[in-house]
Amino acid sequence: MRQFQTSTLEQRHVFDADFETHPLEVAWASEAIFFVDAEQLEGVGSLLLKVQISVDGVNWLDEGTAFDPISGTTRAFRRVSHFGGWLRLQGIFAGAACAYKLTIHLVIKE
Amino acid sequence: MDYRLDKFQPLKRILCFDDFDNGLCGWTNLMPNYTLDNFGVRDSIVEKTQWGPIMLSSATFRFPGTHGSMDGIYSLKLATRPVANPYQGPPAPGSISHAIKRMTMHRKPSRIQFEMWYAYTTEQDRSGLSENDIRAFGVSFDMQDAKARNFVGVRYVNSVNGELKKEWQVMQANDVSDKDWAYDTDGDWCKRGVDPMWYGRRHPDGRADGYQFVPDSRQELCYNESDDKINWLYLRLTYDLAERRYVELQSRDRVFDLSQFQPTDVPPYARIEGLLNPVIWIENDSDRRVFLFVDSVVISAD
Repeated sequence: MRQFQTSTLEQRHVFDADFETHPLEVAWASEAIFFVDAEQLEGVGSLLLKVQISVDGVNWLDEGTAFDPISGTTRAFRRVSHFGGWLRLQGIFAGAACAYKLTIHLVIKE
Repeated sequence: MDYRLDKFQPLKRILCFDDFDNGLCGWTNLMPNYTLDNFGVRDSIVEKTQWGPIMLSSATFRFPGTHGSMDGIYSLKLATRPVANPYQGPPAPGSISHAIKRMTMHRKPSRIQFEMWYAYTTEQDRSGLSENDIRAFGVSFDMQDAKARNFVGVRYVNSVNGELKKEWQVMQANDVSDKDWAYDTDGDWCKRGVDPMWYGRRHPDGRADGYQFVPDSRQELCYNESDDKINWLYLRLTYDLAERRYVELQSRDRVFDLSQFQPTDVPPYARIEGLLNPVIWIENDSDRRVFLFVDSVVISAD
């Protein structure tokens, strides 16, 4: 049987400034999907989300995968693979001040 | 030869032998009950939706690379978020990481035992040595029979507001009100004796209303000399379900007699008769991530 884990990295958490998700160790897996459930609570600015990888869970680099800019209320996902030992998302607020309530799942499989 | 069980001292019947090289083995994140409108949860002074998610870890660090586990590569890792309140306040949302496995009792009341090999450290995100940033970690059973719900467990109080304590405590509630238990909150859902991992007022000297100090229990646990070095440690907690009394705690090579202690009876909750949930948790003492790595767990009974 294949190994599998769905982890709720962020749960209905309100963000209004740049952030990074809870770092998750994924060395045992070869494929992953980030699921994002976003609800814009206030403001008109958009949210940029990009995938990051790390050698040690402390120092992070962009992996190259990014979500389309998020605005309003939306659900989206991005697939990643060949990521080494760690995964997280970095969130960057672009444009006008705004706030989002986010639930972010990381679904990993070997 | 399979030596993996030789490092444990199980009672006659093994319920679980969870080696996390084989996956999560049924251990999951603890969450509250999502039973209100829009999957809401009941208000409480302790926010329980934000605890740090658990994961399977290779115990990899900046310079040494991969530590691995005691028998292979993977351990169960509990990881807090980088937030903390002072010791005497309610734990900050995310300042604890908590793993739980959900079972039910299938035998007549007898002795039951929790064993694990584990290690702990802080995230090495800054220079120096950070042992003081780990507040406490522990194991317990959340269990219920027809008579009562009981939390049976121990924790190692490592640091209180940055001051090292390094003493063991056992779950046994002081004679306080439900309001006291919820940090002086009226109408909180929680009852005295339930969830002492985060409820029960704490005092700046390390005392807590959910726990009693184990006498003469100050103990060094081999934190090691650097945050990126971990050493696997043995823990065993034995409890007598028939007598409703603690038996003993073994930590490394020391055995502590717990027979003077008794868990706190809470009137049974609906729909959880027969509950037998082993749990593990770690709490930070400052605004940084702390980690508890669990190589393997054995739950056994007579």
